[in-house]
Amino acid sequence: MGNKKQKKTPEQQQYEQLQQKHETKRPIFKNCLKAFFVGGFICTIGQAISYFYIYFFNFTEQTAGNPTVATMIFLAMLMTGFGFYDRIGQFAGAGSAVPITGFGNAVISAAIEHRTEGFVLGVGGNMFKLAGSVILFGVFAAFVVALIKTLLIMWGVI
Amino acid sequence: MLVGKQSWIFQQHPVIAATGVSGGPFEANGHLAEDFDILHDDLWMGQDSYEKAQRVLIEEAIQTVMQKGNIQKEDVQFLIAGDLINQITPTSFAARTAQIPYFGLFGACSTSMEGLALASFMVNYKGAKNVLTGASSHNAATEKQFRYPTEYGGQKPPTAQWTATGAGVALVTDKKNGENLPYTTSATIGKVIDMGLTDPFNMGGAMAPAAADTITAHLKDLQLEPSHYDLIVTGDLARVGRETVLDLLETNGLKMDPNRFLDCGLMLYKEDQPVQAGGSGAGCSAIVLYGHLLNQMKKGIYKRILLVATGALLSPLSFQQGESIPCIAHAVSIEI
Amino acid sequence: MKIKQLILHVFIIQCLALIVTGCNIPQNQTSKDYMVLLKATNPTPRTVASDSKGEELITDIEKNIEAHKDLYDVAVIKGKKHILVVYKVKHLQRFHMKKIEKEVNEKLEKEYPDENFIVSSDYKIFLEAVRLEEKMKDTNFSEEKADQEFERIIKLKKELT
Repeated sequence: MGNKKQKKTPEQQQYEQLQQKHETKRPIFKNCLKAFFVGGFICTIGQAISYFYIYFFNFTEQTAGNPTVATMIFLAMLMTGFGFYDRIGQFAGAGSAVPITGFGNAVISAAIEHRTEGFVLGVGGNMFKLAGSVILFGVFAAFVVALIKTLLIMWGVI
Repeated sequence: MLVGKQSWIFQQHPVIAATGVSGGPFEANGHLAEDFDILHDDLWMGQDSYEKAQRVLIEEAIQTVMQKGNIQKEDVQFLIAGDLINQITPTSFAARTAQIPYFGLFGACSTSMEGLALASFMVNYKGAKNVLTGASSHNAATEKQFRYPTEYGGQKPPTAQWTATGAGVALVTDKKNGENLPYTTSATIGKVIDMGLTDPFNMGGAMAPAAADTITAHLKDLQLEPSHYDLIVTGDLARVGRETVLDLLETNGLKMDPNRFLDCGLMLYKEDQPVQAGGSGAGCSAIVLYGHLLNQMKKGIYKRILLVATGALLSPLSFQQGESIPCIAHAVSIEI
Repeated sequence: MKIKQLILHVFIIQCLALIVTGCNIPQNQTSKDYMVLLKATNPTPRTVASDSKGEELITDIEKNIEAHKDLYDVAVIKGKKHILVVYKVKHLQRFHMKKIEKEVNEKLEKEYPDENFIVSSDYKIFLEAVRLEEKMKDTNFSEEKADQEFERIIKLKKELT
């Protein structure tokens, strides 16, 4: 990645100021509220699904996480496939992108999109275009945290 | 003839004898639906990929223009066109079907006017008798290449623009103007202007300086006042870019009449369509000019217009590498 | 577009229908396990084998554990070899689950050193305990079956992902 903040000439800075006046500002507070409520709603559905699995099947709280996540991703797949997850995303922003359904949507939309290039190079090669960084940095972060925890336990701090 | 620093005057008045305009579902629900020759109700157009669908759009536009212009492909000397997709493959593949000697062009969203300027030059100086020129874009194919997969739920900011799906092709010919058809009179080629903006979701703001620069150069080279034109139309600045360019021009001493300064991206869609700031794309300026605006001219509503197509010359890679967005604008004046 | 709209509407209506039927609380349901996940049901402690000394013991245990300030519901079931103690933690105290588990364990070890305890805060175990308790109300439910159920619950508790 090159240097993001390239030096701007005075003319460029002047233009930037002029342009800022006309740039439609994002309604941050409204967006935050919308994201909060939609995200909360998705999580409520997840909790309901969890309870459903605990009540009707032989899952404990510990083990119900797996089928719940699978169901949520299945629902995300249906919504992405039918074409309305992106409308929800436009409305809610982070509220639909952060929960596991957002991750599912990222992978599934990329898979759908690249079907035209074949299964191996198209779908297989491009499926993790968006989610790849999530997986990579998530695993790496988990490794670092586990390492720190191990060291702290070894030295008796925890 | 060269006038001023970067402009041409076409003394022979090359005529735009016919046009072919095809569009997609969004455009069918938009403001200018009646000015399209062919409209599709989904983005696939019976093909199995979006890029192939874009090729179909171009082929249909070429077929339509040759039909309306009553001309066979043997009589057309050159096809000069482009689009936004990598290596301009949809246009090249359409050229394969058309079997006309082909110039592939890339000017991002300013391709339409770049093509019209070159086509007019060729016809004016007897380099060709008939030239087909045009540009196209496809929303899904462009989103896939430049941004995110089409079904991805990412939120677009209010400054983002919607890439138009459509192709506009015109037949520029040297036949004398017996039937009151529009003709091109001059063109100004723009240079690349970069004001250091980096947000790919705010193309309007990035392209406005290029439009301002080309309009200023055009008026200076041809020694004209803005009021010389009934209408000055930009290609795809949309809401944010249009306000910015009006402000920028005024700051530099050129006051435009906002009622006679329009933008193709704003004209294309209705208020209730979710296009954020407005339309954009290489096809946007082509479909609005070669469809709606020329029809308006034929009805007598406008006699002299200046079309300034603006383009952002970035790629997904350049953006990731931290580069800012350089832009360009080309202007062509049309009279009837 | 039209057909997508149609599918979307049908989908939404179906979801609403499910939610509405799900929230409907039938009046004549005797089984309490319905509301277990949602609020305190306060099940009476039971023993698998009939054992009068055991009854007193587990009532005692129940009162003892219920007194803990962070818990709001306790179920105790005594089996042949173990006593299952399940409790529900107040929602905001769920951050201290591990600490509470340790406290409960210590308390039980201290006051009843002869017994083997299995302690759990899991909703599923609680649900199963309540279901077992409901079944045991029925006098036809044999001791063997009750014991089998009890062992199954213990095994479920030990499961990990």
